[in-house]
Amino acid sequence: MAATFRLSLVTPEREVLGADARFVALPAYDGEIGILAQRAPLLTQLGAGLLRVELADGSKRQIFLSGGFAQMVEDRLTVLAEEALEGEAISRDAARAGLAEAAALPGVAPAEFEKKQQAYDRARALARAATR
Amino acid sequence: MANRRVLVKRRKSIGNIRKITRTMQLIATARFQAAFNRAVASRPFTEKLAELVGDLARGAEGLDHPLLTTQNPDAPAALLVITSSRGLCGGYNANILRVAQSRIEEWQAATRAHELRVFGKKGIAYFRFRKQAMAEQSTAVGENPRFEQVQPIANALIEDFLAGRVSSVQVAYMRFFSAGRQRPEIVQLLPLEHAAPEATTEEPPERAVEFEIRPEPGRLLSALLPTAVRTRLFQAFLDANVSEQVARMVAMKAATEASGEMIKKLTRDYNRARQTHITMELLDIVGGANALA
Repeated sequence: MAATFRLSLVTPEREVLGADARFVALPAYDGEIGILAQRAPLLTQLGAGLLRVELADGSKRQIFLSGGFAQMVEDRLTVLAEEALEGEAISRDAARAGLAEAAALPGVAPAEFEKKQQAYDRARALARAATR
Repeated sequence: MANRRVLVKRRKSIGNIRKITRTMQLIATARFQAAFNRAVASRPFTEKLAELVGDLARGAEGLDHPLLTTQNPDAPAALLVITSSRGLCGGYNANILRVAQSRIEEWQAATRAHELRVFGKKGIAYFRFRKQAMAEQSTAVGENPRFEQVQPIANALIEDFLAGRVSSVQVAYMRFFSAGRQRPEIVQLLPLEHAAPEATTEEPPERAVEFEIRPEPGRLLSALLPTAVRTRLFQAFLDANVSEQVARMVAMKAATEASGEMIKKLTRDYNRARQTHITMELLDIVGGANALA
């Protein structure tokens, strides 16, 4: 049996997932990071994208995250996400709405532009997740 | 006799009021449960985030960030006041406003520039009545605050703070300790205090772990700290919401009990009035009969 580690995924509003996992792929800010048990301690910022989990019983789940942080230490992976969507919530319509929202944001000042960019990134990542 | 009818009428109307207050008490109880669960559910995030900031601070000594120090000391200090949008919750709003008002008076005495940002109808009404200018008044966050609702508020605050439009941000709200204990409090949101996040977690696990940190600590910190600010403000709103429900629950329970007492007293009065009436009629009859005899 493959070694497992503890995964807990929390948002500011609730704990989305707390389970033992064999493998987790995290959407880090600069690309995906795969995590197995016994990984070296890690502290990272998350971007927008799919978190893929293979649970201890072999079942798989996919959860869309945007923004947040992850910490892996002593075989405990904690994912703090500002947003977590699952199942039906990951849809093309949602992505389209996100795109429209991003397009409507002002983008003149550098800070605004950055925010707009982030909103675009999130919407595009959501679109990618929906078409998988 | 008119008096008796009045008593009956009052008893009836108080009975109706009691029905309403009892229903409101039940509703508040149910809402309290939900609000409480939400507030508890958000704690792991807040605590973990504080731990992360701690880990990062340990891993990289001497980190500094604009959110940790006042940008422009001459700018006004902002006071956020979180009140409810509905009444019938006892001294809930009055308590918060009292604390906020005394802070404002402190600032006025020290001739410190300040501005008010008020959330909830009750607070807005209070400051409008006192003719105090409000920089912002909002009822955007109602019952059951959601993170998406609080986020833009926090973002705006962060922006104002970084741009030097405000020198500090403090939040006046009702902190929730337990169902039996809430206290109005003013906490500092910005500049973020170094020690404060540590204090919220009990005994942060002392680990001499070398973390692999991505991106580099400085950039990670500038992503972490705004999130910390947002979650803290969110927590304040959640606490305020739970406290409001508790306050309403207690107030409505008291009202229900008081109306029960009143009904008892009115019933007694009514019975006495009826008895007096009967006695008087009897005396009339007996007197009349005696006069004839």
